[in-house]
Amino acid sequence: MLVKRKAPLLSGIYVTDIISGMAKTIYQFFFGRRVTVQYPEERRQYSDRFRGMHYIKATNGVENCTACMLCPTVCPAECIHIEAGERPDKEKYPIKFEIDVLRCCFCGMCEEACPKDAIKLSTIYEMSTEARKVYDKDYLLEQRGHK
Amino acid sequence: MPKCTIDGREVEFKAGENLIEVARKVGIEIPYFCYHPGLSIVAQCRMCAVEIEKMPKLQTACSTPAGDGMVVKTRSERAKQNQKAIMEFLLINHPLDCPVCDKAGECDLQDFSYKYGDSYMRYMEERRTYVDLDMGPVIKKNMNRCIHCTRCIRFGTEVAGIHEMVAVKRGNNTEITTIDGRPLETDYAGNYADICPTGSLTLKDFRFKKRSWFLKKTATICEGCSRGCNMELQHEANMVYRSIPRTNMDVNQYWMCDEGRFNYRHLQDPSRVTKPTKSGSFVDWSAALSEARAVTQGKKTAVFVGTDLTQEEISMVIQFAQKSLPNSTVVHFGTPGVNSAADDAALDKILKRKSKTANLHGAEKLGLKGSNTATGYQAAVVFSGGRSNVAALMKDVKVPAVGVGVFTDETKGGFSVILPGAGFSEKDGTIVNFNGVEQKLKRAVLPPGQSKATSEILMMWSNQSGAQASATAGARV
Repeated sequence: MLVKRKAPLLSGIYVTDIISGMAKTIYQFFFGRRVTVQYPEERRQYSDRFRGMHYIKATNGVENCTACMLCPTVCPAECIHIEAGERPDKEKYPIKFEIDVLRCCFCGMCEEACPKDAIKLSTIYEMSTEARKVYDKDYLLEQRGHK
Repeated sequence: MPKCTIDGREVEFKAGENLIEVARKVGIEIPYFCYHPGLSIVAQCRMCAVEIEKMPKLQTACSTPAGDGMVVKTRSERAKQNQKAIMEFLLINHPLDCPVCDKAGECDLQDFSYKYGDSYMRYMEERRTYVDLDMGPVIKKNMNRCIHCTRCIRFGTEVAGIHEMVAVKRGNNTEITTIDGRPLETDYAGNYADICPTGSLTLKDFRFKKRSWFLKKTATICEGCSRGCNMELQHEANMVYRSIPRTNMDVNQYWMCDEGRFNYRHLQDPSRVTKPTKSGSFVDWSAALSEARAVTQGKKTAVFVGTDLTQEEISMVIQFAQKSLPNSTVVHFGTPGVNSAADDAALDKILKRKSKTANLHGAEKLGLKGSNTATGYQAAVVFSGGRSNVAALMKDVKVPAVGVGVFTDETKGGFSVILPGAGFSEKDGTIVNFNGVEQKLKRAVLPPGQSKATSEILMMWSNQSGAQASATAGARV
């Protein structure tokens, strides 16, 4: 059974609550720590483990990737497309390495699966473009955000 | 039947069966590398060693026939210790290049090292390396990956009948190679890649094309000759990437010839005619069909049925000819020089047959006679699955002809109309091999372009309102 209780007068008209709330707001506004940044001028520091734009790591100018196809296998969004080939200095290398970033969900499983430390996610997060972007091998090899 | 006990389970066996086969019956896996059911037993990899009660030492399961009342332990402490030690020993010189290796995903060494091996390695010294010589057009060798199981050597001498693979040097320096480093000569070289338990011998044709775990598998029959070897087409996204033999002790045992193995490629030929063609230029289906009707209308027609068609297709063609081509005679063709089942004979001591089409004996069973000439006829209709020798046939056929089925730039000469049809990997059906064994073809991929199944083409052709039929068929696609 629902019992209706009579509230005390002061809390009934919320006077104390309004005043204490206003005090908190005024304190935060003038003396508190700011939570927003002035984005283009100011930038936030992200952790090294942040998962942003992809790149393929290269050692001495040669891509680490051997086209083992573990990243397209593990990719839940199926956004990686690789074609393997052979050249004199490397038994197996990717002729084509494409990432459809619009489909990518930045889970980082490709990085985790890679046995050669080739595909990596950098901390770069400014990736907006005007057209649908498919990262090709040359673009990925530019070592943007190398770490 | 005598009984033995494996891992606490009683198994019945036939006398002479070895422990690996007996254990497999009850789903107990004994790992092995050098053993192969189709080859002689050498027991030299030692991986299959198991503990048998009342025997002082571990025994190799491949070379031990099961005995009545035998008590076998495949996962006892001693057996496990042995498996671990053997795995470590085999992996000492095995390079860690699974990401590069084509065998990865279907590799015995990889699988067993996960299951029975240790992830830790004590060997710190430099690994043994070799320089590889070219092995011919079929096989790519990488000796560094070899574990010296000698399956390839035994396959050459015992099955292919040619002693071309040998082990030179001894001990740690053992190298498996061809005699004098010559390229492989056998027509069964693809099997070397199948039986190799590691990635030492891989197919050049399949090299780096696709990882094995992406491939979908369809069990079908080879259409390469009248043997009808059981095989598995491995394909992805409507593309066949390779074919491997399936075990059938009555037909092909474990093997397959290279001609059959790479036969799927003719259906992926870029010059294959995949659109209806009228005197060399592409037209739509209704135009091609009305031209086909015009060519054969009221004329004495020879209907050549390629013996690479299935039983179902051949009987459909016979019915079609009775109904829609009243003045026609149906004959079969296929391989030049093999006009009837009596001409078909073994080409070598292993698998190959003279008839280069699969269903010669089936066509004879349906009452067709072989013929290679159209003398006395005014028109011809040629049905081909792409394997029958159309070029040889068309040398003699000088009358206006309609081609139905698979044609390429090489074979399309001489035809007024071509109606593109389906090849063996694109259709279901039955074929009869030289022993009278009926086997099923299964569809792996779809016919390319505007090609249609033979049944659909015949239906559209015999239907008087052909234009309407093709329009609805087109809408359905």
